[in-house]
Amino acid sequence: MRALNVEALTRVEGDGGITVTLDGKRVKSVTLDVHEGPRLIEQLVKGMTPADDLNVVPRVCAICTLSHRYAALRALEKAIGIRPPEKAQLTRELMMLGENVESHSLHTFLLALPDCLGYPSAIAMLNDYADDVKRALRLKKFGNHVMAATSGRIVHGENPILGGFGKYPTKKALEEIKLKSHELVPDAVRAVELFASLEYPTYSEADMVFMSVNAPNKQYGFAGESILISNGKEVNVEDYKKLTSERVVSHSFAKRSMYQDKPFTVGANARLVNMGKRLDGQAADLFKEHYSDRWLKNPLMNNLAQAIEMVWSLEHMPELVDKITSLENPPIEQPTREDGAGTGAVEAPRGTLYHHYEIKKGLIDVSDIITPTAQNLDDIERHMRLTAERMLAEEKGDDEIRLGLEMVARAYDPCISCATHLVTLKRI
Amino acid sequence: MHKLRNTSGDTKENLRKQLEAIAGDGKIYVLGLGNTDRADDGAGVLVAEALREHFPSYSYSEHDGVEGTLLDISERDEDLTVVFVDAGDLRLAPGTIRIVECKDIRSTEITTHRVPVGLMSSLLSKSGKKSVVVCIQPKRTKFGRDVSREVACAVGQTISVLQEIMASRNLS
Repeated sequence: MRALNVEALTRVEGDGGITVTLDGKRVKSVTLDVHEGPRLIEQLVKGMTPADDLNVVPRVCAICTLSHRYAALRALEKAIGIRPPEKAQLTRELMMLGENVESHSLHTFLLALPDCLGYPSAIAMLNDYADDVKRALRLKKFGNHVMAATSGRIVHGENPILGGFGKYPTKKALEEIKLKSHELVPDAVRAVELFASLEYPTYSEADMVFMSVNAPNKQYGFAGESILISNGKEVNVEDYKKLTSERVVSHSFAKRSMYQDKPFTVGANARLVNMGKRLDGQAADLFKEHYSDRWLKNPLMNNLAQAIEMVWSLEHMPELVDKITSLENPPIEQPTREDGAGTGAVEAPRGTLYHHYEIKKGLIDVSDIITPTAQNLDDIERHMRLTAERMLAEEKGDDEIRLGLEMVARAYDPCISCATHLVTLKRI
Repeated sequence: MHKLRNTSGDTKENLRKQLEAIAGDGKIYVLGLGNTDRADDGAGVLVAEALREHFPSYSYSEHDGVEGTLLDISERDEDLTVVFVDAGDLRLAPGTIRIVECKDIRSTEITTHRVPVGLMSSLLSKSGKKSVVVCIQPKRTKFGRDVSREVACAVGQTISVLQEIMASRNLS
């Protein structure tokens, strides 16, 4: 018997590793081990006011900081009876587009592409793909800029608050975003071209189930009140526990999720499978050109999905800016009750993120956060096992198998740091 | 914070001479790295923020967005050197300052959260720009602690050296 370890899974966020135990030509077990310590955020916010919660929970992650803030806002506003004004909703949509571009540009060009092109890292890629590394940094910078303009800071912006915004972006800042987003579309299209030109290994292929929010008004988007499942079902976000069925495993600090006893996928590929036909502009053309049945079974297609989504995010910004600038700055809406419960579901760059709160007498009594990576972990393990089995059957060497497994894990764009705050400690 | 090999520290005069030799006649851009919430780890940011008062177009910190700042600098049509200032575990006495060439830095992997100095210095090199790291040995890097006396002194020295060099070439 031998163990094939990828002890430190690089180019993902957080401390994780893959262990594959092989028994001759048989794969005995495949585990994505999460070593990050639990963060206990859900317990930490108990007894806090909703406003204080907003200062704490985005600290779960410095890359999906605005997704966490938005999910918390949607849940808390629902719980205490706040209906955010239209301008606030549109500005929140804009901040999510910025986060999407920021995160996807880094993942596609600098984290996933080296695997696909056969380089050990983006640094090694520089000699042949310097322009693409610059594209990544240019897009990332712009994503950061949109995040800062809307939320107040590059990381952990405090501007989006209950009932609106502390300060809305100026017309000048918005017009700059409109102009620049248009200029950067070709950089994102280049990402699509790169990922569409690649030969994707088939080792990991198997039928998949995809989940994403159902954006309102039959449009593409990153927030909604129901969840679309690729089997055709639709579930209200308040019933999120029926979709996620969390459990604990011995080799990981992160909880796992199953839907009807089977792993499922969240992320850009899930969003495009469920809502791809709603895309417009060049993103729609690119989706039509490159979408195939392989998207339904190969997790590596998530890289291409992210690239197409980046194009849509940039193309969608000018329209949003026009809508935002046409509206006056509204007053901040105030809570209408002290008790209530609510669930917020948004699409973080790497998949559906749930925040659920129960409020009693104006203070948080129950908090539940389910991150996309925690939902994807079972699916990652399943596709890694298939990859290991099929590569072994073809008598591939250890190094090749190791790379094959890492490519599958990285394609999900996992954020292990976020996923590990989910364990509840019980003392008896 | 970078982990570097064990080497001896530099005096203020040596620092100035080394930096001037590396930079040639070109301008100096400072990029301060680190986390000011973690005591001495924020040394680079403290240096950059102090220098920004005198050289607002030439001194940036982690808070400005590292990758975007570097990309802008790499595309400038001028002879320049980027001086990264960061806390570095040199295994020397706290507050020791040491100049380290970028090629000697362990090329840590890119993560979802940040791009390493290795990639940024390679990108600068590709664009014909020079870069170097001024490392300051931290004493403590725990969350919520104050900057140690030794590192505060080193921060002051680094500011003084860089201010002197930048005044002679960046403002001319």
